[in-house]
Amino acid sequence: MILELDDVTVTFASGPPLRRRVHHAMRGVTLHVAEGETLGLVGESGSGKTTTSRVALGLQRPAAGTVRFEGRPFPKRRRELAGRMQAVLQHPHWSLNPRMRVGQSVAEPLVVLGRRDTAPVAEMLEHVGLEPELAARYPHELSGGQRQRVSIARALVTRPRFVVFDEAVSALDVSVQGQILNLIKDLQAEYGFSALFISHDLGAVRYVADRIAVMRDGEIVETAGTETFYTAPSHEYSRRLLDAL
Amino acid sequence: MRALLRDLDGLSRAGLACLALLVLVALGSVVHLGGDPDAIVGPRLQPPGPQWWLGTDNLGRSMLPRVMEGVGTTLLLSSVAVLVTAVVSAGFGILAGYRGGYVSELVLRLVEVLYSFPAVVLAILVAAVMGPGQTAALAAIVLVTIPLMTRLVRAAAAGVARRDYVTAAVISGARLSRVLGRHVLPNVSGTIAVQGTYALSVGISVEGGLSFLGFGVQPPQASLGVLIRQGGTYMIAAPWLVAGPCAVLVVAILAINVLGDGLRDRLEPRQPRSLT
Repeated sequence: MILELDDVTVTFASGPPLRRRVHHAMRGVTLHVAEGETLGLVGESGSGKTTTSRVALGLQRPAAGTVRFEGRPFPKRRRELAGRMQAVLQHPHWSLNPRMRVGQSVAEPLVVLGRRDTAPVAEMLEHVGLEPELAARYPHELSGGQRQRVSIARALVTRPRFVVFDEAVSALDVSVQGQILNLIKDLQAEYGFSALFISHDLGAVRYVADRIAVMRDGEIVETAGTETFYTAPSHEYSRRLLDAL
Repeated sequence: MRALLRDLDGLSRAGLACLALLVLVALGSVVHLGGDPDAIVGPRLQPPGPQWWLGTDNLGRSMLPRVMEGVGTTLLLSSVAVLVTAVVSAGFGILAGYRGGYVSELVLRLVEVLYSFPAVVLAILVAAVMGPGQTAALAAIVLVTIPLMTRLVRAAAAGVARRDYVTAAVISGARLSRVLGRHVLPNVSGTIAVQGTYALSVGISVEGGLSFLGFGVQPPQASLGVLIRQGGTYMIAAPWLVAGPCAVLVVAILAINVLGDGLRDRLEPRQPRSLT
């Protein structure tokens, strides 16, 4: 197992000290991502998908439950995981630092690891279908689809074992979505990373995921293989989601 | 730099030109371009004339070199103070904005204590504690300008901290220093530059006010505030003594504010292409 979440609960407190309200973003969530597998996580806005991704990336400490990456609990210092897990995030507009050239952005995970050799940058840009010359450009000169390709290049340049895609295609238009989903599938076949693919778009998830987990109000209501899920969903909420598709 | 100049509108360019002129004047005074500011050149309280373009003061010193020296003192003092403010505010503001939570609360509450004093009262307080002089004026400008700048930098940094490229850098395992230095600082530098120009104009007026009250720069050294104070005594007999430095003060503050507005439009556009 690459990633194991066991009975994970995350709570957020809000409101003034004496009338503190506790909001459960995740209640007893159990998820497993196997080697080379893509787990799709679907659910409506506010269902706890992004919190789940933050927990999976070690950015959010759970209130209860255990998280294990490659069979071990998260190290105290994030740096020890540097380069082994990466993410492609939501918004192509904010995914790249506007003050850094594309090449610098893609090279950053390597630089953080202390690697001087930036040859993989050009190679990686080509792999995601971009001209290596784009490395000298600034993000505002790129289209949304190109920027998301750059984000993917940045995520994969250290050859991570696990990548989180958090609404990675949601902000793109449909034809570009298709290209990016194809690209993700191709790259996964080539590099063999495991992935957690989060989306509210059931169509996109179906295309890339091996298994699907459905989330609602911080709970996992159903986990099933993709084919089973789309042909014979067992939970009533899943059926409603699919009907809405 | 040239691109920046091209994007500024006419008004801000005029402001920049005025400011550049004032800096040149100040530099000229270092080499006594308009004459020795301390030399007695003629009778006291003479109106402007060919020998003394801005008249002479109560000791018979020519006002032109005095005003030139005053511009230099005021600009230098304010600039140094604003640099100090920029460094302190950027440091605390970025850390508070990025970290949020109690770090942010602590910084904000400290800053609010400073903010709650009226600027001139705070400046007088500083001068009273430190003793009047240039150091007091400098410290007063720093303390008066820190609150606004820190709050605005914090707000800008808090916005930048939530952006995906910052999260991506954290996930990649970047150290705090790298995240703040490479990702947050460059993206709040526009705010720092714009607030810096505004702080400079506040600094000039604080120096003017403090020296006018006698708590800032001390004579015989000239600063705009000192000159206005000295000229004020003879305002009826020799109004040109106060008119010269006052005009320069107004022009300097106006020029800087106009430049600041132009920089703000250029460096802090609302959101580029919000329709994408």
